Amino acid sequence: MSAPARRPVVLLRPVPGGSTIHDLWAGTKLIVVFGISVLLTFYPGWVAIGLVAALVLTTARMARIPRGALPSIPGWLWVVIAIGGITAAIGGGPPEVHIGSVGLELGGLFNFLRITVLSIVLLGLGAMVSWTTNVAEVPPAVATLGRPLRPLRIPIDEWAVALGLALRAFPMLIDEFRVLYAARRLRPRQVPATRRARRRRWAVEMIDMVTAAITVALRRADEMGDAIAARGGSGQISAAPSRPKWRDAVALVVVAVVSAAAIASELLLGATAI
Amino acid sequence: MAALSAATAIVAVVVPFAAGLSLLGTVPMGLVAYRYRLRVLVAATIAGSLIAFLVAGMGGMMTVVECAYIGGLVGLVKRRNRGTPTVIVVGAFAGVAFGAVSIGALKVLARLRNLIFESITANVNGVARALSHVPYMQPVSERMKDGFPKVLTYWPWLIGGSSALGILIITLIGWWALSRVLTRLSKPSNLQKLDTPADDGVIAPLPVRLHDATFRYPNADHDALGPVTLGVESGEHVAITGVNGSGKTTLMLVLAGQPPASGTVERPGGVGLGRVGGTAVIMQHPESQVLGSRVADDVVWGLPPGQSIDVDKLLEEVGLDGLAERDTGGLSGGELQRLAVAAALAREPSLLIADEVTSMVDQPGRAALLGLLAGLRERHRMALVHITHYNNEADSAERIVNLTGTGASDNTEMVELAAPPTATPSVDARSAVAVIEVDGVGHEYASGTPWATTALRDVSFDVHEGDGLLIHGGNGSGKSTLAWIMAGLTMPTTGSCLLDGRPVSDQVGAVAMSFQAARLQLLRGRVDREVASAAGFSPHDAGAVATALATVGLDASLATRPIEQLSGGQMRRVVLAGLLARSPRALILDEPLAGVDADSQRGLVRLLEDLRRRTGLTVIVISHDFAGLEDLCPRTLHLQDGVVQAAPARAGGAA
Repeated sequence: MSAPARRPVVLLRPVPGGSTIHDLWAGTKLIVVFGISVLLTFYPGWVAIGLVAALVLTTARMARIPRGALPSIPGWLWVVIAIGGITAAIGGGPPEVHIGSVGLELGGLFNFLRITVLSIVLLGLGAMVSWTTNVAEVPPAVATLGRPLRPLRIPIDEWAVALGLALRAFPMLIDEFRVLYAARRLRPRQVPATRRARRRRWAVEMIDMVTAAITVALRRADEMGDAIAARGGSGQISAAPSRPKWRDAVALVVVAVVSAAAIASELLLGATAI
Repeated sequence: MAALSAATAIVAVVVPFAAGLSLLGTVPMGLVAYRYRLRVLVAATIAGSLIAFLVAGMGGMMTVVECAYIGGLVGLVKRRNRGTPTVIVVGAFAGVAFGAVSIGALKVLARLRNLIFESITANVNGVARALSHVPYMQPVSERMKDGFPKVLTYWPWLIGGSSALGILIITLIGWWALSRVLTRLSKPSNLQKLDTPADDGVIAPLPVRLHDATFRYPNADHDALGPVTLGVESGEHVAITGVNGSGKTTLMLVLAGQPPASGTVERPGGVGLGRVGGTAVIMQHPESQVLGSRVADDVVWGLPPGQSIDVDKLLEEVGLDGLAERDTGGLSGGELQRLAVAAALAREPSLLIADEVTSMVDQPGRAALLGLLAGLRERHRMALVHITHYNNEADSAERIVNLTGTGASDNTEMVELAAPPTATPSVDARSAVAVIEVDGVGHEYASGTPWATTALRDVSFDVHEGDGLLIHGGNGSGKSTLAWIMAGLTMPTTGSCLLDGRPVSDQVGAVAMSFQAARLQLLRGRVDREVASAAGFSPHDAGAVATALATVGLDASLATRPIEQLSGGQMRRVVLAGLLARSPRALILDEPLAGVDADSQRGLVRLLEDLRRRTGLTVIVISHDFAGLEDLCPRTLHLQDGVVQAAPARAGGAA
């Protein structure tokens, strides 16, 4: 249609619409994502990556996430990936494939691909939570998940309140940072002559920006503090805290089976595969 | 305690962003460690790292943890008043500890380690192989190829050493930045401080009697209130009026339980701020007093665990029925204030204090909010104290108390609300030359994604040299988007916005813009540096600074004043001084009168009128209000839902 607009990264806002995945308890999603991240950090093999990638894709399909949700990838990132891929491919390595009389060493490329796909899968996993969960559901879920820690005198409820307020303040502060950046753009550019002066100017500007951002944030914090006091301190944080249901059990079992399969394959094939 | 948790939360959001920006993520964490207890730092770290985890996965989470680690150490050193040598020692130890942890982690994660190392080896070998084909580079290539595996066998030293060094460097940068920022920050503000009183016993705030009560903020040299003698009975509706600085808000603090400096306050029982049957307060800023991310969550926020209330019924009463599941981020100012009323009602207060609740709300929202407040006492047994500086808002009260201030000025003028003028798009402009041509402009945020929202549709108009144009619209009408497009800060999705015939987005800075939040636009620490930087001349040019300040009616003696010591009205003028000194082609003002008291409002409007008349400055004002702008902006454009309307959006507004 019109000029190909850059798709921005949209953070902490669920994709409109509903699905089974949207309805899952936020705590379940946190457990799954955290568990799988740990799994992949310990066993980053092809089979594990492939299984998790399949899981992410299935989830995306079930949650009816359109392709448009993916942000556009900036050009420089493609260049970086290309350079990395090419040098790794030239590097070569053990598994050699013969196509006719030409021998191709694919070890290096495989390693590079594995680490790239691993990063993408991990990011996708987080995105799945971000795209299907209303942020309002996260703090109560954290409070519930952390309940076993309470006897250890860990202030889990305090953390949940802080997290909730932070998520509430998130869009407001983003707007304020946008204005801050725009105000900077409106100013005339003064380019100092020497490199030393330029560096100093850069440092001064950095401090100015951070100070302005912190001042604004602290002012906001003062107002929110008054609002909290007006409500008599913290207490309930959710009107209808959702609880895990049957579908959460099902989801956890599915993920557990996939993870077990991934670990088993890693341990059995680990010695032979890459 | 309340302010603490809020600060924690806010800092938690700043960190991931600051960390993304550069190494400066340590600064907010350092600030927390410097000002508050360790427990707060921990809470901020947890909240921040969880958000980072949701936004950027494990990597983001680790970055925040690292920022907290370094920032926390730096802040603690600062708090103990130690100097740079201490920081170097602490940083070195912290670095070694961190390096040891990294080595340990990689030892455990053998598979990940092998993968990373093999991948890097492949890249190195690839580069080496490519180099071997370049003449004279063979030796380098050989050395790379043979040397790298050897280097890798010493990986614990490599990783440990580099992380130790890295941590030390970041610590020093963080130390430097935190020291600079701390000297710039003002002392913790004492503008308004509600506190949860340690209530024991019966909650019974009414009837309350103040006898010669005064109040003085800590470190202030004069009383902010009083002496005031006043009583509030159960179930009555009192309006408290007075100009800015007369102590209206301070009176609210005293009614809400702050002990007076002198005089007496008598109540039958405890104030019970935020408790059931106690006192509830609704404040000025709509956004900051809504604490839940979802409407229903906000109504119950802070209620004691276990207490259940009928959320839907409360929302129906304040006219927000059916919105229980909505995000609070998408509500208008008026809706947010009504939500705050619902949260107050959830506590069935005996005393409800509304403090300037309409000053940041657009006109339709204001009418709805006032109607709601006036009708409350028919359904609830409670007293309403309504603090306002709009005189017509006080009319529905049974009793009006006028505070005359503490002797500073006996100015009793109040803000008049104006009815919307009729749209006059066809009035002749002053000159035939079009400065800004807006042609078929439409804008969509997040185009191409499922979150796409249209802000503007096919907007066309011209702004002529010397014009005064008011762009008026309610919340979400797209007026701010339009302002950003006219300043060249946003590229419209469709159509074009030309300045002197060329796209304005290629000439950012030629059209000046003053944002609603003046503080955000003041980036330097002192007035003269600020004006110089915004205008583009040397800060040592005292004459130019004085001239710029004089243009906006400020005295040259203000030049050396730190930004943090300026009042709201002065901040706005300093922004204008910087902008006008560049002789902009046009000046856009986004809600220039919001949050400025009546006196400064009039002064500001008169200044702008004068500038327009004398220098032929083109002025575009974006506002949801009309009061006093008729002379400054003879032409009005009404926006609603991103479309230009022919007539005022709300016909029944004329008085």
